[in-house]
Amino acid sequence: MPMLELQDIHAYYGNIHALKGISLTIEKGEIVTLIGANGAGKTTTLRTIQGLIRPRGGSIKLEGEELTKLPAHEVNRRGICQSPEGRLIFPRMSVQENLEMGAFTRTDKDGIARDLERVFSLFPRLKERVRQKGGTLSGGEQQMLAMARAMMGSPRVLLLDEPSMGLAPLLVESIFDTIQALNQQGITILLVEQNARMALGIAHRGYVLQTGEIRLQGDAAKLRDDEEVRKTYLGEG
Amino acid sequence: MKQKLLTNAEIIGILLMGFVALITGGWSVVILVVLLGALVGVNVPAQPGAWRRAVLPGLISALAVVLVTVFHNTVIAGLPKQEHIPPASTSFLVYLGSLGLGTAVAVGVAALRSAPDPRVRRFGLLGLLLVCAVAFPFFEQYAQLFWANAIIVAMIFALQALGLNIVAGYAGMLDLGYVAFFAIGGYTIAMLNSPQFNLQISFWLVIWIAAAAAALFGLLLGAPVIPLRGDYLAIVTLGFGEIVPIVFRNLNAVKIAEPLSELAALVFGRPELALCLAGCVEPLNITNGTDGINPIGRPVLPGVAFVTGQYIPWYFLILTLLAVSVFFISRLRRSRMGRAWVAIREDELAANSMGIDLVRTKLAAFMLGAMFSGFAGAFYGSYVSFVSPDAFDFSISVIVLCMVILGGTGSIVGVLLGGFIIKVADLLLLDKLQVVLGGVLQATIFQGIQNQGMQNFLESLFNASQYKLLLFGIILVTMMQFRPQGLVPSTTERGH
Ligand SMILES: Nc1ncnc2c1ncn2[C@@H]1O[C@H](COP(=O)(O)OP(=O)(O)O)[C@@H](O)[C@H]1O
Ligand SMILES: [Mg+2]
Repeated sequence: MPMLELQDIHAYYGNIHALKGISLTIEKGEIVTLIGANGAGKTTTLRTIQGLIRPRGGSIKLEGEELTKLPAHEVNRRGICQSPEGRLIFPRMSVQENLEMGAFTRTDKDGIARDLERVFSLFPRLKERVRQKGGTLSGGEQQMLAMARAMMGSPRVLLLDEPSMGLAPLLVESIFDTIQALNQQGITILLVEQNARMALGIAHRGYVLQTGEIRLQGDAAKLRDDEEVRKTYLGEG
Repeated sequence: MKQKLLTNAEIIGILLMGFVALITGGWSVVILVVLLGALVGVNVPAQPGAWRRAVLPGLISALAVVLVTVFHNTVIAGLPKQEHIPPASTSFLVYLGSLGLGTAVAVGVAALRSAPDPRVRRFGLLGLLLVCAVAFPFFEQYAQLFWANAIIVAMIFALQALGLNIVAGYAGMLDLGYVAFFAIGGYTIAMLNSPQFNLQISFWLVIWIAAAAAALFGLLLGAPVIPLRGDYLAIVTLGFGEIVPIVFRNLNAVKIAEPLSELAALVFGRPELALCLAGCVEPLNITNGTDGINPIGRPVLPGVAFVTGQYIPWYFLILTLLAVSVFFISRLRRSRMGRAWVAIREDELAANSMGIDLVRTKLAAFMLGAMFSGFAGAFYGSYVSFVSPDAFDFSISVIVLCMVILGGTGSIVGVLLGGFIIKVADLLLLDKLQVVLGGVLQATIFQGIQNQGMQNFLESLFNASQYKLLLFGIILVTMMQFRPQGLVPSTTERGH
C-alpha cells in the first residue's frame, strides 16, 4: 500500500481549474519530487493534500486512510506536515516557540524533546538562535526553521514547497543535503521544486506538472535524461 | 558614554503628570509623585546598583510635579470658580514630603527591579503595588479628591479591555460591537436582581449568570460568522453592537402570538381564531424601554455596606475582580489555547497547517472576551444601580478598542494602563481642565468682553469635554504613527 496516494484530484480557485485530475503515489521511505514551471499547480497540490483546499473530485489516501474531506488541522494530526511556500514562520515568536508550535498536536513530551534534539543536530544554526524572533532570521535560517518546524510534527509524510527558493547557491546545496539526510532517517518526502536539476538529483522518482496536469513521470534518473525535461526544465540543448 | 539626564519616557511622564498637577493641585501631588516615581524606577535599566541611577531623575521629576502643584495652589486656585483646595495640602511640609516620597518610590522600584533574587523582585514589586492600591482609597477619602468614582469606572473599563484584548490582541479578530456584551451583562443583573420582576437573586450568583449569558450570545453570534473571512466579523459585530441596545429599548411592550393560529386567523379573516401566548391582556414590559431599570440590587456581604457614595467597598471589589482576571488571563495566555491564539494572529494558514482548529480556537477567544464584558456589565449595573439603553452606545466599543490599542495589543499590563489613562482622562481630567480653562478665561479675556453672549460662546468653545472623541482620534492616529505596538508592547512583540 503506498504511503500517500492521490487519485484524479480536481481543485479550483473559484472558476479557475487549477488541478485537472492529478494522480500520484509516494511509497514509504521515498523522496518524490514534483517539478514544473511557475503556476503549474505545485503549491495547489500540496495545499490540497494538506486539506487547506478541498478538492471537487478525486481522493487522497494516507496508507489507505481517506483524507479527502478532512479539514487541515485533522490532516496534520494524521501525520502530514508541511514546510509551506514562502515559509510562513511565526515572525514574532522565538525560534523555540516556532518549533513548539510545530509539535502543537502532540502530547508525547519525551518524543517532542527527542525531536527537538534531532532538528537541532540537523540545523545547528537554529540551536544558536533559539531565543531570536523568527522574523529577524535570514532567509536561509527561516527556511531551516520552516523545515525544522514541520519535522517537529513527527510527520509520516513531509511536504516541502520550494525549500531552495531565494537562497544563495551554497545554501541551496546544504538544504538539499539536509533533505537527503532526513530521508535517510526514514522520512517520506514530497519535494516541490523549480530547481529541477537539484531535485531530480536527490529524488527517487519524479512527476512533471504542467498547467494542472501530470505531463511526465518516472524514475528520477530517467527523467533527468528525458529530452523534453532537459530542454524545458534543465535548460539544456 | 555620555548619559542623558532624563530619558524620553521620563520627559513624557513629567509632562503628563505635570499637566495633571497643573489642573488638579491640592493633595493630588502625593499620588502623582508616586506614579511618576514608579515610572522612573521602571525606566532605569535593571542592573546591580540601579537605585543610584534612579536618584537624580527621581528627584528631578518629583521636583517638577511639586513645583507645578505649588503653581496651581497659589496662582490657579486663586482664579474665579475654582474648586476648593484643602489648606492642609498647601503646607511646605507636604511639598517636601512629596519630593521625598517620589524619589523614594523611584529608588525603591529601581532597587527591587534589580534585586538579584527573582523572588524579591517579584514579590517586592507586587507588594509595593498592593500597598499603593490598598492605601489609595483611604488617602483619596481623606484628601477629598473625589477621584474614587472615576477610578472605579476606569477599572470596570479596564476589565472590558482585558476581555477585548483576548479577542483582538491575542486572536487578532476585530470586534466593533463589544458594548453589546457589556449591555447583556448589565441587563442580566437588572432583570434578575431588581423590582422589575421582583427578583432578588444574589449579586454573587448573578455576575456568573451574566458572564455566561454574554458568552452564550458570543457563541450564537460567533459560530456562524467566525468561519467566514475576517472582515465579516467586524461588520457583523458592528451591527450587533447597535442592535442589542435597540432591542433592550423596544422590549417594553411585548405581545407574543402563536404563529400557526395567527396565520389561520389571517387566512380565514377571523381574528378571534388567533391564540395569544404571552402579554395578551397587557403587553409584557421586560426592559422598561428608554426609562431603563432601577434600582438594581447591590452585593451583600456581612459587615460591608455596598451603597451609593461609599466607594471603598466597591473599589476593593472591582480591584479583586480585576486582579483575579489578570491572573486567569495570564495563565490562559500561556496555555495551549493561548499559544494557538497567538499563532493564528501571526499566520493563520501556518497555524491551520500546524493542526490548530481555526474555528474552535477563535470562537473560544470570542466567547471568553464576551464573558469578561458581561462580567464587567453586571458589576457596572449593580454599581450605578441603573441600566438604560443609552448607557450602552457605540462610543463604548470605540473607547474600549482605543484602550487596547493605546496600551499595546496583546499585553496585559499595557491594556490595563491604556484603560486607566483613557477613562481617567475622560471622567476626571477633562472636567478639571474645563474648570481651569473657565477660570483662566474669566480672569483674562472676559475682563475685556462685557457681552454675555460672547462670553458664553467662548466658554463653550473651550469646553474640553466636547473634544473628547477628537482627542481619542488624535491619540489613535498618533499611536499608529509613532508607536503601533502600544505603550507597553506584549512580550511576543518586543525586540529580542
Ligand atoms: N489564491 C489563488 N486564487 C486564484 N488563483 C490562484 C490562487 N493561487 C494560485 N492560483 C492559480 O492557480 C494556478 C496554480 O498555482 P500554484 O499552485 O501556486 O502554482 P505553482 O506552485 O506551481 O507555481 C496558477 O494559475 C495560479 O495563478
Ligand atoms: Mg508554488
